[in-house]
Amino acid sequence: MNTAIQTHNLAKRYGKVTAVHNLSLRVERGEIYAFLGLNGAGKTTTIRMLLGMVRPTAGAAEVLGRRIQPGERQPWRSVGHLVETPYAYPELTVRENLEAMRRLRPGVEQSAVSRIIERLELVDYADRRAGTLSLGNAQRLGLAKALLHAPELLILDEPAMGLDPAGIVEIRNLLLELVQEHGVTVFMSSHILGEVARLAHRIGIIHHGRLLQELDISELERDRRRRLVIQARDQQATLEVLTSAGYSAELVANESIEIKDEAAIQHPEEIVVRLVHAGQPPTMLNVEQENLERYFLRLVGMDGENPP
Amino acid sequence: MSNLAQAFWVELLKARRSRMPWVTALVFAILPLIGGFFMIVIRDPELARSLGMISVKAQIVAGTADWPAYLNFLAMATTMGGFILFGLICTWVFGREYADHTIKDLLALPTPRTAIVLAKFVLLMLWAATLTAITFLIGLGVGTAIALPPVPAATIWQGGLTIAVAAGMSLLLILPLALAASAWHGYLAPVGFLILALALSQIIIVTGYGEYFPWSVPALYTSMVGPELAHLEWFSFASVILTGVAGMLGTIAWWELADQVH
Repeated sequence: MNTAIQTHNLAKRYGKVTAVHNLSLRVERGEIYAFLGLNGAGKTTTIRMLLGMVRPTAGAAEVLGRRIQPGERQPWRSVGHLVETPYAYPELTVRENLEAMRRLRPGVEQSAVSRIIERLELVDYADRRAGTLSLGNAQRLGLAKALLHAPELLILDEPAMGLDPAGIVEIRNLLLELVQEHGVTVFMSSHILGEVARLAHRIGIIHHGRLLQELDISELERDRRRRLVIQARDQQATLEVLTSAGYSAELVANESIEIKDEAAIQHPEEIVVRLVHAGQPPTMLNVEQENLERYFLRLVGMDGENPP
Repeated sequence: MSNLAQAFWVELLKARRSRMPWVTALVFAILPLIGGFFMIVIRDPELARSLGMISVKAQIVAGTADWPAYLNFLAMATTMGGFILFGLICTWVFGREYADHTIKDLLALPTPRTAIVLAKFVLLMLWAATLTAITFLIGLGVGTAIALPPVPAATIWQGGLTIAVAAGMSLLLILPLALAASAWHGYLAPVGFLILALALSQIIIVTGYGEYFPWSVPALYTSMVGPELAHLEWFSFASVILTGVAGMLGTIAWWELADQVH
């Protein structure tokens, strides 16, 4: 069994509102699958259905080979999860919160608590009450609870939320280590698209409850738009040279000239020669690739080109 | 039940780390002291006269200054105090998971949700039993200290049994609050339910149909509103038990089957 998560036409309706619509996705073991979507897109509802917290209106979900239904507990021995903002019992210390979680996971040895406290760098806060933790440390405690039992599958809703830049890098390295050295599968939702681009093997994009696209990171590389950006002393004259040569060049925000023609992107040196011969040598010329953020916004129709 | 003992350990830890045990124990410790004060007031007419209204109230509530009257006062106090306090404890035990947003950590675990709910109910029952025992034991100490006229031991045990039954009925009647706290995600709905049940129980006793309304039964049982109204049949006690069982089963069903979106 190489599939960690599989959903078949998963749907959830609340009255007339459809939160998730016929969602079919597949997460292979050992991969990091990033689940992207705007607020209210259906990410958390999907995660709650995967964890058996919300019953689907239609369709089915399988986690680690078991169909999720009321009373099914087998997968939870091997699944760690973090749903939305992590919370803990405020009057219990960090260590007591983790000990409580350990007791509810039979078979997890006592030393696991100290081990995960060290791993998540919570040693200085171990005996501090959880209610006094900063947002970043509360997030670490949430992750510690998810990782306490060395799970095979991690289902994480915004795992980097509240962390400072150093914390984000630390969690990124931790997840990469878990995947690369321990074969853990990670299914995560995130708003930090730069992080996703660095971490994920595959990406699923959900919008208005529908899975718009599911693609490998290599496919993303291929699908991301590229453009040639040019700056010159006389932008208007340069633009005229390029358009008269047949390029679909345009002036963007009066700052630079943008060309999306594949021929220009493949051979920018020809543009340089042409501009130099026309007496308008470029002061800057760069092939830029669309980042994941722009790709995502373009896909959901919020990049300004295709209003939603 | 799978892992029930560990789930109970977790519930006990959460309770121990809160102020709730101390606050509730303090309230239940005060009840026998108030009863003892009433006994002194009734027994000492000079003191009663100097205290005015308090003496009148003491005589209405307690009647005479002896062990049966004192233990009956404790039973009545346990009925009313137990209903309110056990209700607040139940509201806290279940509602806190929603108020603190910790419920989502309890739903996808190898420990069954039913075990977690049962652990909470076990904690609630032991907590209520401990508070009742505190009231009874302090009551014995206070009664002895103010030198109530001696009675056979059987009278004391009968009084203790009445207190235990009254507390047990109060406990059963607040179990639906666990469902209210779970279904409405916090403290507000169960507290509202508690106030409503308390008000209705008094109104329905006055109308003469108290034996048909479960929440009126404990008050009738301890003759809180006068012995002439205490017409309790088997169905009155059965309705109390059924209310408790329905509250427990409803809460388990809610945790197991309902959508958990908080």
